[in-house]
Amino acid sequence: MAAAPKIPVEPSYRDIDRSVLRVMEPAGLAYWAWIGFCFTLVAIAAALWVRQIYSGLGVTGLRQPVMWAIYITNFVFWVGIAHSGTLISAILFLFRTKWRTAVYRAAETMTIFAVATAGLYPLIHLGRVWFFYWLLPYPNQRYLQPDFRSPLVWDAFAVSTYLTTSALFWTMGLIPDLANAREAAAGWRKKFYTVLAMGWQGTDRQWRHYSMAYLLMAGLATPLVLSVHSVVSWDFAMAINPGWHSTIFAPYFVAGAIFSGVAMVITLLIPMRKLLGIEDLLTEWHFDNLAKVVLLTSLVVSYAYLTEAFMTWYAGDPMEQMTFHMRYFGPWGWMYWVMVLCNCVIPLLLFSPRIRVNMRALWIITIFVNIGMWFERFVIIAGSLTANLEPSQWAGYRPSITEIMITIGSFAWFLGLFSLFSRFLPIISMTELKEGIVWLRKAIKMDRVKAA
Amino acid sequence: MSTIAIRSSFADETECARAIEELRAAGVGDFNTFSPIPSHKIEHAIGRPKSPVRWLVLAGGIAGVLTGLAITIGTTYEWRLNAGGKPLLSWPPFIVICFEMMVLLGGIFGFLGVLQLSGVPTTATAPGYDARFGEDRFGIVVRCDEEQAAGVESMLKESGAEEVSRCS
Repeated sequence: MAAAPKIPVEPSYRDIDRSVLRVMEPAGLAYWAWIGFCFTLVAIAAALWVRQIYSGLGVTGLRQPVMWAIYITNFVFWVGIAHSGTLISAILFLFRTKWRTAVYRAAETMTIFAVATAGLYPLIHLGRVWFFYWLLPYPNQRYLQPDFRSPLVWDAFAVSTYLTTSALFWTMGLIPDLANAREAAAGWRKKFYTVLAMGWQGTDRQWRHYSMAYLLMAGLATPLVLSVHSVVSWDFAMAINPGWHSTIFAPYFVAGAIFSGVAMVITLLIPMRKLLGIEDLLTEWHFDNLAKVVLLTSLVVSYAYLTEAFMTWYAGDPMEQMTFHMRYFGPWGWMYWVMVLCNCVIPLLLFSPRIRVNMRALWIITIFVNIGMWFERFVIIAGSLTANLEPSQWAGYRPSITEIMITIGSFAWFLGLFSLFSRFLPIISMTELKEGIVWLRKAIKMDRVKAA
Repeated sequence: MSTIAIRSSFADETECARAIEELRAAGVGDFNTFSPIPSHKIEHAIGRPKSPVRWLVLAGGIAGVLTGLAITIGTTYEWRLNAGGKPLLSWPPFIVICFEMMVLLGGIFGFLGVLQLSGVPTTATAPGYDARFGEDRFGIVVRCDEEQAAGVESMLKESGAEEVSRCS
């Protein structure tokens, strides 16, 4: 792609359209090579999954008592990543936050693909994946039904509702932008966007219903996002296993989800703004605010770690204390301290306003947060299972190459889908940027003054 | 007497909203507007009641709660599983299912409702539509009698319209 022309200090609606639509022009060879690389990794992972289905879960490192390990860690990690998208698109919309307009589409897109990635893991984790539908209630001749007292059933409802509702909310926001793309495109692209825009023309009648529905869907998505990770946390908290059976899990997991998700948004946006030439639209002001959310949620997560340790000590349950002793100082103790370093210590750098707008530093910090949050889930899930209430069962866990390659494949799947989206559909909402143009102009002015 | 359509475009939403107010004050009610953003000023000037899509979302939400109750209670009675002596109808977990179903059906009703009420998907183009109305211009297309046309045109120009033209 040719170097991006600088957007004027006082951009007009037309400047915004041109900057966003330019990203959707045909991509070069490097882009397709990257897409090819991602989907090759996905193909390798898929082949290993097929082998696992054929041979059984014995090809993984799952052995009693650690029957939930990397697959479920990945599930919780990706569901968590998804949450920041809904936070930015729905919750911050209700609060009328000014800086969300430029970043919300990318964040919401990340949500869709992260949930789509997460949703694969319970399936991958199943020994007999062809019976996945047993989790859902349906009429059958044996009158056999799932037990609604099981949090796994809640999870099936919560995650599928989350994916559907987020996809509808995202699609609705896309329609007016797709109409703009339709007007600017030519050839097969015009036909493509004409079909996707569904005949949207921006009449007063259309906007009147759209605005109301958008507001209400944001209102529905807000409690939904809090419920989904709470339900995910109850997958653990409802069990009596030491290290899992805790009442703080719901808020603790929700805070962790937003922490890791916003960090992932930053990790994706920093290279994306550079590669797609949209540095003018995603300004330092946006990243400064995103970094503040990371800092705040890092402090909440750190507080949760301390509370968890305090509760274990104060409750005086020897099994619980043993599990936590193992977590801190056992064979996998290093993972806990990596997690503390990445989630509690390194993000403290974001107290510095200079670091918050230093793209390189910010990118590295958010990578550490992603690593730390993955370890957090692994420590809680697999770590707690190694030492359960029956000491005779205690055993370790070693991931197999199948689990490792499927994990890498899921990252490639997520990045591949996100990269495809970013060049074919508007990655920044033109409609919402225009609505908040006053704030965009201020942000661009601040950037230019600083650069000068 | 034949009816004609007059298209006008505005660079500013405030001027567009003022033009709508003046048209309404002059008794011209048959018009359609286009805008690149949802504009409260224009919506206020047109003065239509709030969108009924909110009732559809409410209906979807209620239908969701009822579906959740039907699924949980119905399947529990079909498969009477005694889990640790807990009551057969365990309400706290059922609330989770009812809540998720409320959001799911509320969202689906809202989305389908907005499509239905907005008249999309459609292959028809509204009379007077111009590509720039999606980009950076606010448009008003007035349908009126031939004899009213001159008055409407001057009213639109006085309100700040950049272009006023007749279209098919």
